[in-house]
Amino acid sequence: MTSREIILSRVKTALSAAHRVPMPALPALPQLEGDASARIEATLAAIESVSGKTRRVTRPADLRNALADLIGAEKIGKAMLWDNADLRELRVAETLAELGVAILAPDADKRELAQCDLGVTGADAVLPQTGSIALRALPGQSELVSLLPRVHLALFRPAALRADLRDLLAQLQRDAHAVLITGPSRTADIEKTLAIGVHGPKVFYAWSYEG
Amino acid sequence: MTHPLARIDFRYNTQHVPPKVRAAIQKNTRTAIVKRGEAVAQLGVATWEQLRQAAHDLKLHTLTHLDAYLPQLEANVIAAGGVVHWANDADEARRIVLALARAHNVTRITKVKSMLSEEIELNEALGDAGIRALETDLGEYIVQLDHSRPSHPTNPTLHYTKEDIAEIFRRELGVDAPPDPFVLTEIARQKLRAEFLAAEMGISGGNFLIAETGTLALITNEGNGRMCTTLPPVHVAIVGIEKVIPDWNSLAVALSLLARSTTGQQLSAYTSFITGTRAGGPREFHLILLDNGRTQILRDPAARETLLCIRCGACANICPVFQNIGGHAYGWAYSGPIGALVTPQLIGTLRAGDLPFASSLCGACADICPVKIPIPQILVHLRQRVVAGDAFAAPVAPPAMQAGARAGAFGLSQPWLYELGSQMLKFAQMPFARGAWLPSLPPPANRWTLTRPFPKFDATFRDWFRARTPQGRAQKQTRALGAAVLALGAGALLFALARKLWRRK
Ligand code: SF4
Repeated sequence: MTSREIILSRVKTALSAAHRVPMPALPALPQLEGDASARIEATLAAIESVSGKTRRVTRPADLRNALADLIGAEKIGKAMLWDNADLRELRVAETLAELGVAILAPDADKRELAQCDLGVTGADAVLPQTGSIALRALPGQSELVSLLPRVHLALFRPAALRADLRDLLAQLQRDAHAVLITGPSRTADIEKTLAIGVHGPKVFYAWSYEG
Repeated sequence: MTHPLARIDFRYNTQHVPPKVRAAIQKNTRTAIVKRGEAVAQLGVATWEQLRQAAHDLKLHTLTHLDAYLPQLEANVIAAGGVVHWANDADEARRIVLALARAHNVTRITKVKSMLSEEIELNEALGDAGIRALETDLGEYIVQLDHSRPSHPTNPTLHYTKEDIAEIFRRELGVDAPPDPFVLTEIARQKLRAEFLAAEMGISGGNFLIAETGTLALITNEGNGRMCTTLPPVHVAIVGIEKVIPDWNSLAVALSLLARSTTGQQLSAYTSFITGTRAGGPREFHLILLDNGRTQILRDPAARETLLCIRCGACANICPVFQNIGGHAYGWAYSGPIGALVTPQLIGTLRAGDLPFASSLCGACADICPVKIPIPQILVHLRQRVVAGDAFAAPVAPPAMQAGARAGAFGLSQPWLYELGSQMLKFAQMPFARGAWLPSLPPPANRWTLTRPFPKFDATFRDWFRARTPQGRAQKQTRALGAAVLALGAGALLFALARKLWRRK
């Protein structure tokens, strides 16, 4: 017998006399009230509460200004970004280049990418209640972009907001390679003192983009 | 870790907790409990309770249908390009990992914190084979540098101060660091970044396995989980068979409970979902499904709920025993109430027979447990196993303890004997009493007085009860009345007798 057969037969024996508990009905998860604008505000507030930095961008010119501010504040020299329709439409790569930032391709050597200052992603889904953003690992959406750089910027559209965690997970389930991000990387392993920026990004920006 | 075959002497271990460690543990567990309370309040207690019940029920449903869910999970992992291995016990799991490492010429492994990896003592086995397995969770990294062991289920460095950690960094890494959490964290970031990039294999545990899609859910706050499962070309996940849940709807419930219970966060910083292999990720994904005694627990209806545990650590934080001794006293990979529960079942009562008694049965753990494991009830069940034996194990308690337990049971069932015993204690204690205390007692009672004085027996419990409760007072009055009637009667009788005698004269 293989170990597989042994384990499965042990499971069967263990359950032979067991009461088989039915699947319970699962309770509803808390939903967020309010109109679209209030929901965006609530999302940004939740992101701030987990040490994220937020901004509400409404016009293309705002996006350029916001990027310029970020580059100045965080001293960005090199960046990498997702290559998807949304970020192309927003001309993020071009704007960064115009502002003097060198752009690395996400398939460059990982040691080189590890030196990157900024990674820019979109967001496939956003959970307003917790300020979490979900990033799927699709072609053009390398996971390294939100992992290796010192600073991570996620741009999301209001349409990405989901009603609750169940809704959000239902969307991720489809291709099932994803990460749900809630604030910058953190630890409290030294005397329970919160230290931001352990292995992942030290600074997390999340901007809503309307328009 | 204790020697593989040594008995865990819990009482001895509790008497060797440095006061500094005790203070750190009290402070840290208190913080954790406060934060958890705030997170639960924010969600709303009613919702929280609904979620707990749902999580309990859905996990119990999964466990009692594991024969269907495990093959479903396996098929979906394989369909997504992953490889599934089955390991009967720790030894087989270690051999599978070693074989994979050898097949890929691996010399450096980065690891994500996993209690299961400590359960199977994986790092030691890899080290013996000349493969360096480096822990990358900051806490585990520090513990590994210090050649120590985690002192808490989710917070392994609970027993260190920042000064201790600076000293460990100076000694083991040769860096002169101030005792500043931020500087120390930055040093670890630099050191480990290079390791992530160089590793040929990443090893993780897993928080949940979703049968519906064959997905591994892995949760970290530091991002090391993402590093270990993204950068190295091979990812090996070792997960206990009890970690399966049916679907993503169930995951929503479980995720709503886990981070709030562990750290008081609404969600941890990173939850990764990994389903087989993917473009741009590791070329190979291996899932090792481990039994190592879990099917045995599944067989025991009175203990089955042990397997519901989602390893949040809340029971340890709230436990008055844990708060005073920390995790090391439990002697194995799992500590706190869940350690007291799981260790004797996984390694046997012969080695871990002390642990079901490592609890005052106050019930705080069951009240806080996000999946509502009736921890005290199962501990009592295991105490019975230790003392009297059951279908799963022979009794292991020493004969003296068994005799003592039997004598105690007899004494407590005979009210007159109990009364007599408690009256006698008042006299027996006289030679040892110093003021209100008994500072030292002869053996075997000295096991208590070696570490703390025992208060003098001032009153028996019955007297105490009579003096303090309405029923007790009523009882006392009835008794007093009875005594008065009796005394009057006796007086009358004596009087009559005396008169008779006097008349005769
Ligand atoms: S027993 Fe309950 S409280 Fe303790 S670690 Fe497991 S899930 Fe958490």
